[in-house]
Amino acid sequence: MTRPASPPVEPASAAASPATPTAELALSARGVHKSFRIGNRAIEVLHGADLELRRRERLCLMGSSGAGKSTLLHIVGLIEPPTEGSVHLQGESAWTLSMGGRAALRNRHVGFVFQSYHLLPDLSALENVVLPARIAHSYGTYAFEKKRCTAEAAEMLSDFGLGDRLRHRPSQLSGGERQRVAIARALILHPDILIADEPTGNLDTATGQKVLDLLLGQQRERGLSLLLVTHDERLAERCDRVLRMEDGRINGQPSASPG
Amino acid sequence: MYRRYLSWRFLLRRPINLIGVVGITLGVGALIMIISIMSGFLEESRKTVRGSLADLIIQPVAVDLRDGHEPVSDVQPLLAALREDERVVGACPRLSWGGMVVQTSLRSELRLKDPDRADVAFAQFVGIDVEDEFTTTEFRTWLERESAHQMPVENVDDPFARPEAWRGDEPWGWVVVGEQLARSHVLQRGSLVNLVTGVPDSTDDKAYLSNRKFFVAGTFRSGDNETDRTSIYMDRWELADFLSGTHEFTQVLVKLEDYERDRSSIEHSLMGDLSTKGLVNPNYPSQVRTWESFRSSLIGAIENERVLMGIMLCLVILVAAFTVFAILMMMVTEKRRDIGILTALGATRRSILTIFLMIGMWNAVLGSGFGALLGVWGALKIDALEQWLSATFGVQIFNRNVYIFDHIPSDVSPTVVTATVLGALLATAIFALIPAWLASRTHPIDALRTE
Repeated sequence: MTRPASPPVEPASAAASPATPTAELALSARGVHKSFRIGNRAIEVLHGADLELRRRERLCLMGSSGAGKSTLLHIVGLIEPPTEGSVHLQGESAWTLSMGGRAALRNRHVGFVFQSYHLLPDLSALENVVLPARIAHSYGTYAFEKKRCTAEAAEMLSDFGLGDRLRHRPSQLSGGERQRVAIARALILHPDILIADEPTGNLDTATGQKVLDLLLGQQRERGLSLLLVTHDERLAERCDRVLRMEDGRINGQPSASPG
Repeated sequence: MYRRYLSWRFLLRRPINLIGVVGITLGVGALIMIISIMSGFLEESRKTVRGSLADLIIQPVAVDLRDGHEPVSDVQPLLAALREDERVVGACPRLSWGGMVVQTSLRSELRLKDPDRADVAFAQFVGIDVEDEFTTTEFRTWLERESAHQMPVENVDDPFARPEAWRGDEPWGWVVVGEQLARSHVLQRGSLVNLVTGVPDSTDDKAYLSNRKFFVAGTFRSGDNETDRTSIYMDRWELADFLSGTHEFTQVLVKLEDYERDRSSIEHSLMGDLSTKGLVNPNYPSQVRTWESFRSSLIGAIENERVLMGIMLCLVILVAAFTVFAILMMMVTEKRRDIGILTALGATRRSILTIFLMIGMWNAVLGSGFGALLGVWGALKIDALEQWLSATFGVQIFNRNVYIFDHIPSDVSPTVVTATVLGALLATAIFALIPAWLASRTHPIDALRTE
């Protein structure tokens, strides 16, 4: 997968600017605060972070451990609520929706790829990939979609080089294979946004490279917006923009993507 | 529906998860089987006890009364009054008296071989008017009942008559004895038995022993263990003579046109009617009793036993439901990361709750379904099952001589089966709700971080 030549580099503050037309945004977060209470002590992890992810954009979020990257990812991925601030996804203020509405939005529009793959160990590779479709069509309509979804999942896994591993459990797959299954699962419902939290963190360099090629290739091919958290500078190089986080804030300094 | 799909997959993940199914199957099966057998036992006992009596038993107070009310000595006015009642279809007098049977000819060698066989035993002498008895009780059926040990009388219409072929000229009367009493005393048709009893002497408030020999005309089989083991039937006037004419009857048995219709009111109303006519003493209300209240201790004991067995087996089901609770708690801990993954993929809290609740309900549905089949099958095939167990392990589980029944009775009630299954479902649902609720409250991020 080839990266577009010389992508434009923007400062983080400019990336979060309201000047970006709403139609161009896949996701936006404004003034996100998050604090956790441990005993009597409140620990503030995010201090009013702003983030915009444009359509078809590869956005990389970097920062040291404990900077709040994963927490921000979980908040914009609608898994964890912010203490304060808003997240807009598909033009809706996601955290004002009902729990069911938010779950549906997450299911339909956000695909997750985790560092630890997070596949269900009781299901085969194919069943893991089909699972989001089962959840999406949970009220009896899955029977009508089953054939199509299963065929699509099988085709995708075959395209990812796992055609002979469809019935294998995650425990029977290697790390790279598991991550490819996780990518297929994230893509099965054709989401608009892909959120990847250190997707190559558990893989060796060669395998990580192959997985990354697959992830970025699919992102370009499908025209998805990718929000990627990584420590890997080489991975960041292949993104359109890089934002750096420090102490719960997205750094105001422009962070140039080398290249 | 992915909740059903996932709950099923989670359940089958490990065989240990199915231990709840096994527990509920055994609990539900045992409850249905035992309750069915106890119900059958109760029903059979009721039939037997009712058959050995009649619908109503009237026992006028027969002692000298301090209030000046004369004890009833002539039964005819009482019978006439009863027969006038439109609810009554038959009434017969009985003279029932306790005593002993002494078998002098029984060889000691035989007694040593079988300790159940006795030479002196308590006996209940029952004097009857044959024709009236036949219209009121089931005595005729007892005489005609066929069994391996039955020695039928020569003439059922006149069971106490001397057999035509009898060549002896002894003056002794003829009696019909219970089948078990005949077996334990090794009595044959024509055997001589000595009957001994105490007779009150009205002149000096003392009692003296009366002793008389009787010939055995045959046996009867009532089905009631107590009756078949102790009762000796004879002509009422023969017994009255044995008692030196001190008593002519002790009770009147009544057959009603519709017992079920009148059972609740007849004791009180008939008591009122008879006391108005001076035939019973109004100060003693329990002189008119239905067969149920007459043998209430036996029926009540079986009913109590059934309730106690039911309670104990319900506890077994509760323990099985608790096993489901324990397995689900373990599963919620084990599946913590899966809960986080499902949430990230778009599952709601309610869906997570439903998945774990459904795992519990699979246990309940499978357990109570298999249990119902096992229980109904066991109740219907209990006889064959008992015989197989007895033959295999060489232990007699059901003593047919004690209970008289030729088979182990069972009465499978759809209500009991339905109630047991619903009870198991409800108990498991309640127990499964707690771990399911805890699963739904799992924080997805914490869950995803679980290693």
